[in-house]
Amino acid sequence: MTEPQTLSLGDTAATDRAGRLRAVLSRRTEGRAVVLLAVVFVMALALEPLVFTAYEVTLGRVALIGLVALGLTAVILMGELDLSVASTLAVSGVVMASVPNIYAGIAAALVVGLLIGAVNAFFVVKIGINSFIATLGMLFVLRGLAFVLSGEQPVRLTNIEAGIAFGRPLVGPVSPRILLFVLVFIALQVFVTRMRVGREFYAVGGNRQAARDAGIPVDRRVFTGFMISGFVASLAGVINTLELTAADPTAGGTVLLASFAAAIIGGVALKGGRGSIVGTLLGALSLGTIEVGLTLSGVQVDIQQVFIGGVLLIAVITDPASLREATANFRLFRRREPEVQS
Amino acid sequence: MRTTRRTLATTGFLLAAGLVVAGCGSDGDSTDTGSAEAGGEGSSYDVYALLPQGTDQPYGTTYLPPMEEEAEAQNIGLTITNSQYDADRQASDCQVAVAAQPDLIILWPAVGDTVRPCLEAADAAGIPVTVTNSDVNPEDKDLTAGYSGPDTYGQGASSAEIMCELADGEEIGILVVNGLTGNSTAINRRDGFVETVEADCPNVSILAEQPGDWNKDTSQTVTSEMLTSVGADNVQGIYAADDTMVAGAIDALKARDIDPEPLHITSIGNTELGNPLVISGELDGTVFQSSSWDGRNAVVVAGQVLNGEEVTEDLFMPSVKVTSENAEDPEVAPEW
Repeated sequence: MTEPQTLSLGDTAATDRAGRLRAVLSRRTEGRAVVLLAVVFVMALALEPLVFTAYEVTLGRVALIGLVALGLTAVILMGELDLSVASTLAVSGVVMASVPNIYAGIAAALVVGLLIGAVNAFFVVKIGINSFIATLGMLFVLRGLAFVLSGEQPVRLTNIEAGIAFGRPLVGPVSPRILLFVLVFIALQVFVTRMRVGREFYAVGGNRQAARDAGIPVDRRVFTGFMISGFVASLAGVINTLELTAADPTAGGTVLLASFAAAIIGGVALKGGRGSIVGTLLGALSLGTIEVGLTLSGVQVDIQQVFIGGVLLIAVITDPASLREATANFRLFRRREPEVQS
Repeated sequence: MRTTRRTLATTGFLLAAGLVVAGCGSDGDSTDTGSAEAGGEGSSYDVYALLPQGTDQPYGTTYLPPMEEEAEAQNIGLTITNSQYDADRQASDCQVAVAAQPDLIILWPAVGDTVRPCLEAADAAGIPVTVTNSDVNPEDKDLTAGYSGPDTYGQGASSAEIMCELADGEEIGILVVNGLTGNSTAINRRDGFVETVEADCPNVSILAEQPGDWNKDTSQTVTSEMLTSVGADNVQGIYAADDTMVAGAIDALKARDIDPEPLHITSIGNTELGNPLVISGELDGTVFQSSSWDGRNAVVVAGQVLNGEEVTEDLFMPSVKVTSENAEDPEVAPEW
């Protein structure tokens, strides 16, 4: 009996276990986010250790940035965009505060988020409008709606004490915001990695036609993704309104860009088909730590934005796809140089 | 595998380079802005100032230097944040401030209705809070140790008094351009203006009102839209909640070939934009707001509290009416 022949693939096939580990790691998209997070943590430890001793504050900032980013990731994985998340946050908060009964208000706000997600998906799937345009329009519509419903003024909760109680830590330093953020992370991580419906998001984002040909109900998946994004944005609006004891129709001003930044830093590709919920979490951790560290260091917010913009640019530049394209263009340029000189 | 190594190497190099530059930059910035970390060397007290604007707004740009000078004079280490009028961001900045355990917090509320949790957290941590520029709601005052700043309701009322004098009993219709929606200053100025007009000169009718968001271009757009909506011939006056917006409103009139001088136009601020308009006659009256007074006295009141004095009364900025009669006086020279 002959020995089974093994193809030699260089170092990758040197040992089975090492090779398998390398194969798994090479498929992960969170590499850059892990490196960035490590650098951020080291810098924070050296320059502003209060970021870690007051970790509940840092976690609160991470949850503020990351919650909407998690929901947004579900949409971006399918190659779509949802620019209406900040306005959804605002209008949901106003709806919640406008209802005298706090529990009914929360339910109403979450239903509003689901409806907004469904409307966005309707425009994208049934009408065929590009998601950037559709959700950009909804951004303005919903913001105007928030102003109309609130009478252009902040709307205070009927039960302010309930709101203040919500903002207090539950167990140790863990506040309801942090707890809900962790629960949403777990739920979405399980959804996109363990459930067929969630895993199909990658197929829809990777190659939509191939997904259709494979029998995946693409339209239904897009609806699901947008409704997840809308629901999570409305949940963020509920949390903000409870913690602040009032709904501000101008709320969410800094949420949209920060959420996209967290997802991109975490390795989520805007074209879809690549990225992970874990990556978004890592991106939010990095951004939150940077922001808190810079605030504690007394750095002005406009300088903070330079830092955050720089981190975002580095994340985009070091994206493997971008690097491959840049390398290919550089090689092409080098090959053409002798032709130009002659 | 080579791609992964290359990616990691490039990432690490760029990050290291960026962070070296950032480290140099942040050292320079802390010095340049005059702010210091909580616990800075040589400071008698450490104070956090939670502001909704800074060098991103004209008012903030001239508010900050006197604030920092006064802090230096009182040997106070000042850390300044800017939430850019985002209430959620300011709430998060407040959490950071409370965690830093300063001796006092100076708070300029982004949205007055949402600061109670911040005040309660500071109170629970034993950190006194003084308020600057935009006061908190009456039911939250017991959680604060003092206020300094403009009487924003009184500013609106003063501007309305100028309008009433100009109307002189005549039935006129006016447009109103308000500040940023939801902002305490915008709400108080609007209430002060509208209620004073209703009480003192009901002959003045408000035909339409829109928010100009403290922005000149937005104000020009909404004024133009209101002129279209109500009919330009029916408009005999305009009130804008600040000089930046009134400049936009006046531009809207000029764009329609409407001479602003016969109209009754009032605002608030007496800024570098508004004061020349008063001198030229295009703006009939404004109310002087001193950003330097505001910034300096934020620290004066904080210093009083830190030194154990009980601040029992609000320290209001004088609301001086500025018209063509006194617009060139040095006492009302514009600051921002």
